[in-house]
Amino acid sequence: MADASLMADMAVPSSTSSTPPKASSAVAHEAPRNAQPVQPLARRRYALEIRQHMPWRWQALILAAALLAGFAISAAILIAAGVPADELANEFVMQTFFDGQNFRAVLFQAAPMILVGLAGCVAFRARFWNLGLEGQMIWGAIGATAVSMWQIGPENLRLPLMFIAAICCGLLWVLGPAWLKLKLGVNEIISTLMLNYMAANFLLHLVYGSWKDPKDNFPYSPQFRLFERLPELGAGIGSSILLAGVVALLAWWLASVSRMGLYLRFVDANPRVAHASGVPVRRTIYGAVLLSGAMAGLAGFAVAAGQEGRLTQAFYQGYGFSGILIAFLARNNPLAATVVALLVAALFVTGRSLQVFYQVPFSMVQLIQAVIVVCVASSDFFIRHRLRRVGGEAVQ
Amino acid sequence: MNGGIVLNWLASTPDFAVPYALAALGLIICERAGVLALGAEGLMLVGALAGIGAQIVIGQPAVSLVLAMLAASVVSVLFAVMVIWLRVNQVIAGLALVFFCQGLTALVGSMAEWTNHATEGIGAMGLWPLSLLPGVGKLFEQNAMVWLTPPIFGAVAWFFARTSAGLRLRAVGENPQAADAAGIRVTAWRFAAVLAGSALVGLAGAYISVVSTKLWIAGMTGGRGWIAVGLVIFARWSPWKALAGALLFGCIEALIPQLAAAGVQLPQYFVMMTPYAVTLGVMVWVALSRRGADEEPGALGQPYVREERR
Repeated sequence: MADASLMADMAVPSSTSSTPPKASSAVAHEAPRNAQPVQPLARRRYALEIRQHMPWRWQALILAAALLAGFAISAAILIAAGVPADELANEFVMQTFFDGQNFRAVLFQAAPMILVGLAGCVAFRARFWNLGLEGQMIWGAIGATAVSMWQIGPENLRLPLMFIAAICCGLLWVLGPAWLKLKLGVNEIISTLMLNYMAANFLLHLVYGSWKDPKDNFPYSPQFRLFERLPELGAGIGSSILLAGVVALLAWWLASVSRMGLYLRFVDANPRVAHASGVPVRRTIYGAVLLSGAMAGLAGFAVAAGQEGRLTQAFYQGYGFSGILIAFLARNNPLAATVVALLVAALFVTGRSLQVFYQVPFSMVQLIQAVIVVCVASSDFFIRHRLRRVGGEAVQ
Repeated sequence: MNGGIVLNWLASTPDFAVPYALAALGLIICERAGVLALGAEGLMLVGALAGIGAQIVIGQPAVSLVLAMLAASVVSVLFAVMVIWLRVNQVIAGLALVFFCQGLTALVGSMAEWTNHATEGIGAMGLWPLSLLPGVGKLFEQNAMVWLTPPIFGAVAWFFARTSAGLRLRAVGENPQAADAAGIRVTAWRFAAVLAGSALVGLAGAYISVVSTKLWIAGMTGGRGWIAVGLVIFARWSPWKALAGALLFGCIEALIPQLAAAGVQLPQYFVMMTPYAVTLGVMVWVALSRRGADEEPGALGQPYVREERR
């Protein structure tokens, strides 16, 4: 069939409902279309076509336009919420990136953000919707805190043990959904989300119960000892960002260089063909999903041992969606995810200062993230489709 | 456990079951048309906030509930445009909708200062003459929304099973190519299904805020939207089974305060996990029994692109 006759009902609202689809009617539409080159503007019709390929420059341009639209909408929301318009650029760009102290705050915030973003990338590469990043993060922090609480191992091994405990706990929390998905076909979106709520309640059980700091009335665990906290590298920059950087490089190596990365691309493209050509599909998916859980667990470790220095009741909030958003915006590319995570961390830092100076609720940060995702996701349409003018008279 | 507690428990069950039931029904309408509606959690929050806002400003429960439905429908237009026109991945679009709504409602709620602002709900209505029965009469003292829920279910079930419009809607979700060839406008039907379903999900949210708790707290739906998504899978996209599932979840949730009132010592946070654990449990059970695997709408989650050959 000629591509000009492939029209979307979006562009041509009454193309199907009025006449029964006969073979002859399609032919009848073809003829007058070329005969009428000039039409009044209001009668012009457009057909939607699938675009096979788009030069990357145009793709970048569309992405930039989508981001710009997202920023514009966010700015409008911020102004409506009471932030003076002329302060916006100052708050977001100058204060965040060019002020030494704030930039350190961004790096401080970025470490767990990079880790959850990478966790999202790795799981989504295996077509596994790991929405349980928050739950795995909680368990990672619980694992690290358990090592500290029960004083497992000698002092100089304590931090590595906490690290390993966080990885194992995050990994185990995602093992259930992965097994249920691969063995029984249970929808992982629901199962991972349910496990988030269960982990969050278990965290409350601990910090309000047996793990509560006896010195205080607040719901958090006792402060970690000095050797149980991620050390500073100097100049106020913590070592958690270094940890995140190393994990990002490992994830890049895994996705782009290693054999598993190749298998993942097979599985992502078509699991059945991958299986037929000898790729160990299940093992690849298990590997990616468990690795994702381990990275999310590490993010929990980075917050507990690198930021808070203890287990707190709501440290995980906002990371789950941020991880998904980072992986989505970075197209599951670990290096791009690191950059996006830095920007999201900057957004978090700015959001806190807006909260202090302009009484803008912190939920604004979540709203802005969602607006940007909506804009970028929608912009994909223009990369994958094009509008083409077709004859207008012929349609009725 | 004595009889009084059982009676109290059963009497409070509908109050907990109605939000699950209405949200699941709204989701069934969307998903029967082939649109995977993961945004329920967000739309429930929109309904809850809009309902409580209208309740504070206007103070008429019926008006508040209708406005909440409208608000959820309006917000769902964003989702509908994304998945139906722009053909965005429905999982991404649904998640984005949830997070958009969470951010939006928390922001609006705190900026309008509606948080923790108690309002008047709607009173109980006895189902005469059953409510006059000695002892069990209490079971029939429920608010008007509880009595309205079964007729709503009946109407939707009748729509799906007995009307040609319902058949068209199901055809669009089952095989959009064939429906399109038969002259059914896939885009329009899916749009209508998303708006109508979202209105019901919004009503479910408004029920929680306007009727049950009578106040607004950010994120107050606490995962009920996600549980409803699981409930729809559990119910194999059938309205009546969804109602039964909602009653099951209502029973479980209603049991928690009754046990606490009876002085049963239970670790509080483990008790609060039960609805999520039960959801996970029924998902596993459905997967194990593998019954009715063919009842899933055939084109669920797939955007319909006429230009693409399959």
